Amino acid sequence: MTTPPALDIHELRFRYAGMPSTDPVVDIPSLKLDRAEQMLLNGRSGSGKSTLLYLIAGLMEPQGGQVLINGKNVHQLQGEKRDLFRGRTIGMIFQTFNLLQGFTALENVLAALMFSDLPPQHHRERATALLDSLGIDRPNQFVERLSIGQQQRVAVARAVACEPTLVLADEPTASLDPENADAAMDLILNACIETGAALLCTSHDPSLASRFGRCVDLSRLRVEPELDSTTLEMSTDRTRRDGGTTID
Amino acid sequence: MAMTDFTIISRSLTSRWFSTVTTILTVAVAVALMIVLLSMRTAGQDAFQRGAGNMHMLVSAEDSALVAVLNSVFYASAPRRAIPWSKYLEISEGLRIPWEFAIPNQQGDSYRGFPVLATTEEFFTKFQPHPGQEWSFRDGRPFERPFEVVIGSEVAQGTALRLGDEIFLTHGIEDSRQRRIFGRTDETTMTPHVHDDYAYRVVGILERTGSPHDRALFTDLLSTWVIHAHDVRRAEDPSVRMTTEADLRDADRLITGIYLRVGTRPGRAMSAGQQQVYDMLRRDTTITVADPHFEIQRLFRIVSNIDQVFIGMAGVVLLSSGIAIMLALYNTMEQRRRQIAILRVLGCSRPRVFGLVLTESALIGLLGALAGVVFAFIGMIVVAELMKQTLGLVIEPRLEPVWTFVMVMASILLAALAGLIPAAAAYRTAVVAHLRPLG
Repeated sequence: MTTPPALDIHELRFRYAGMPSTDPVVDIPSLKLDRAEQMLLNGRSGSGKSTLLYLIAGLMEPQGGQVLINGKNVHQLQGEKRDLFRGRTIGMIFQTFNLLQGFTALENVLAALMFSDLPPQHHRERATALLDSLGIDRPNQFVERLSIGQQQRVAVARAVACEPTLVLADEPTASLDPENADAAMDLILNACIETGAALLCTSHDPSLASRFGRCVDLSRLRVEPELDSTTLEMSTDRTRRDGGTTID
Repeated sequence: MAMTDFTIISRSLTSRWFSTVTTILTVAVAVALMIVLLSMRTAGQDAFQRGAGNMHMLVSAEDSALVAVLNSVFYASAPRRAIPWSKYLEISEGLRIPWEFAIPNQQGDSYRGFPVLATTEEFFTKFQPHPGQEWSFRDGRPFERPFEVVIGSEVAQGTALRLGDEIFLTHGIEDSRQRRIFGRTDETTMTPHVHDDYAYRVVGILERTGSPHDRALFTDLLSTWVIHAHDVRRAEDPSVRMTTEADLRDADRLITGIYLRVGTRPGRAMSAGQQQVYDMLRRDTTITVADPHFEIQRLFRIVSNIDQVFIGMAGVVLLSSGIAIMLALYNTMEQRRRQIAILRVLGCSRPRVFGLVLTESALIGLLGALAGVVFAFIGMIVVAELMKQTLGLVIEPRLEPVWTFVMVMASILLAALAGLIPAAAAYRTAVVAHLRPLG
């Protein structure tokens, strides 16, 4: 039996209530991400990149289509099962990190492990080792007292703590200067390689393309069923096709 | 150690410590109020029952039966009216009633604010401060000769008197406004008159009984009559040096109360003829006959109406503390939505989020209840002291275990109920909307 891909999307369509059905925010005929593959999803602001990630994570309901992660249809899972599946299979990194304020760096990683299938007695050991490998030397410091760079590292550690199949990174470098953005991207890419997680990273910055094995422009996905990096030309003309609706 | 739901809850509570502490205090005050009121009901009734002990009836010259009981049994203030000795003889012997005891007593003097009860030795041999509980001496013995005094345990504690010490009694009760009973204050100084011609010797110290008698001194009637007669004689003739029993006139032989018990069959508390005796004595209009147990119950019926109002008010306070919990949690919900959204992303389900908020709320209830138990205990000590000082009621500052348990559970339940609305708000938190960058 062959191993299913990390992510397999078919005919995924999403629009917000009240919007015309002819103009969906997300309209992806097909998109596949192999295990441990790293893909950059490029698109201008408002093109539906974040929405796509939330759909993949099962935090939003599509009007049609399916999202398979590790061969499992996310939207067929209901309630608690879907939450637990997300916690164990998907790691998420946000532009503003979304760390738990009032908790230490260590606790932020432990919070992710709370929902993993790793035995509780190994949680602390795993979290400490992960933070250490990412260069956090004060794991018991409250996150709000850490520098932006260190907060980013904690966010990465938390995303990969449960050894997920897929890491979704939503504009992870958007709030960093170019130098720090490079370092942060390295961190995310390496952490995913080390844990064997596939990475789907969204960005409106085409310069990140060279760091990824594969780049896809979100707007092109709508007309061409499947694209890969060999056929994708990172165009600066990101408004070639209109139809993107501002959602952020 | 792995992270648990409890870590999340405790962090949530400590991060908003001011709101947490004030909410806990609100609950604590309400719980304490309830526990004190409910415990006092039981303790108060018990304490009241203790004073009357095994007597069936009290005879006094007071106007009302309740006042007679409060004054003659609880030393609330010294009785104002006296009964002549002849009346005592008539009741104890002339009526041919088979008394088990008919103990005369007289109040009016005090020592350092503690009331003195002049009585007979039967007070120690036949009267029991609590049915079935005999007097017991920590030190010494009952008075046997004139000018000997026995002190209650509270007096011993309050005055540090020891066996062999000599004391002078004060006419009236120093800290009472009603000190003119048989005599007068010293007209010139307006200070309480001290019977300083006659010294009393401490011969016995009683064990604690938990009754109002713990804060009294006991001496014999004859000595009391002598010292008062001496004052009267000195007022008439300043050259009088000494007064003895032989100098006593009928007007000097006064008492203020009689403790009565009708003979009963062994092991029985009541006598069949008791009501008949009671009715017979009541025909005498010069005296007031009281059934102390009945009067105490009557008093409690009056008091219980008031304490029901208090308990109702405490219930309202408790209810408003529940509202305080709800507001405290609900107001912070806006700040917490991002935290909830993050937890949801990490794999926390909606029911678990609901449970976290509800548990946090119940925990505030539990902590408030525990603080309330401590407050209640302190409150009980204060109230017990006040009751002792003002009413002479000795109340054990003990929390009624059943009420304490009920209140702790009620507080947790109320807090959990108060947490329902914030928990529902947490349950409905829109994850995606709260993950977006701020601003």
